[in-house]
Amino acid sequence: MTEATMSHAASSPHTPQVFEESPFSIPSKKLAMWLFIMSDIMTLAACFAAYAFLRNATPDWPRPFHSMTTVAVMTFLMLTTCLTMLIGLQAAQAGDKAGAFRWIMITGAGGLVFAGLHIREWMQMMAQGVGLFHNPWGTSAFGAAYYSITGFSLLHIGVGSIALLIVGIRYQGGRYKANDIEIMNLYWQFVSLAWLFIVPAVYLMNMAR
Amino acid sequence: MATAQAQGIKKYVAVYIALVVITAFQFFIGYQNLEGGALIVRMLTFGGIETLLVVFVLMNLSTEKRTFFNFFVFFMLFVLTTMNIIWTDSFRLLVFRLTNTGPS
Repeated sequence: MTEATMSHAASSPHTPQVFEESPFSIPSKKLAMWLFIMSDIMTLAACFAAYAFLRNATPDWPRPFHSMTTVAVMTFLMLTTCLTMLIGLQAAQAGDKAGAFRWIMITGAGGLVFAGLHIREWMQMMAQGVGLFHNPWGTSAFGAAYYSITGFSLLHIGVGSIALLIVGIRYQGGRYKANDIEIMNLYWQFVSLAWLFIVPAVYLMNMAR
Repeated sequence: MATAQAQGIKKYVAVYIALVVITAFQFFIGYQNLEGGALIVRMLTFGGIETLLVVFVLMNLSTEKRTFFNFFVFFMLFVLTTMNIIWTDSFRLLVFRLTNTGPS
């Protein structure tokens, strides 16, 4: 059999092609999002490790937070957007396009409100004199640690909110399907979980005595 | 399909309420003026419960294939365990600062 004949046989539609079963059996877009989440967990873990290192090694670490009201509102808002995201996902999987679009828009709007509250919190800290390398209370590393960890969360939620709005509009237009909403749900639940770790580490453990 | 959808949402609402309650507990503990290890242990315990609820239920990891489930869990446990390498040097630096010896 010549090479040309063998090549033709291999590419023939009648030639059975046997592939190994995928070890994960997961759509490639979903796998990509899971891998991204895993890499983001490593980044966040590194931020927390650096923060814990500094916090533990510094006797004069400031405890500037007197009121947790804003943080509590932000946390409740974040948890509620987790639920609205899931309701939107359920609606998308059930074929309710209008309902899914509505709930995804509500989730995106909630995320933008959260980002706004977060920026307001930052402005208040800056007004009190907290910068990256200085603050009026104690060690200069406090500001850098605070802004880097909360900035990580703010960036992810801000970008995620915009992405949600775009995905929602494209889903409404028929370009994206329920699988894409499920992938956005993975991301949104992850950023919410990240915030649930940031609140005790950065805010609750630094409450003023 | 409507019944299955309603049951799915009920599950998510239940987890949502659990997360709100756990977070409220964390805020309550934050106001208790606990120190050091006691505060960290409590916060980490609640954080661990929240992680299990979010990852396994809200992110539906429990419905994925076992191979992927194991891959994710073991990889993440490895990362979270190895990040604890910082403590020896952190305490060394603290002792230096408290005793005013060594590098500041």
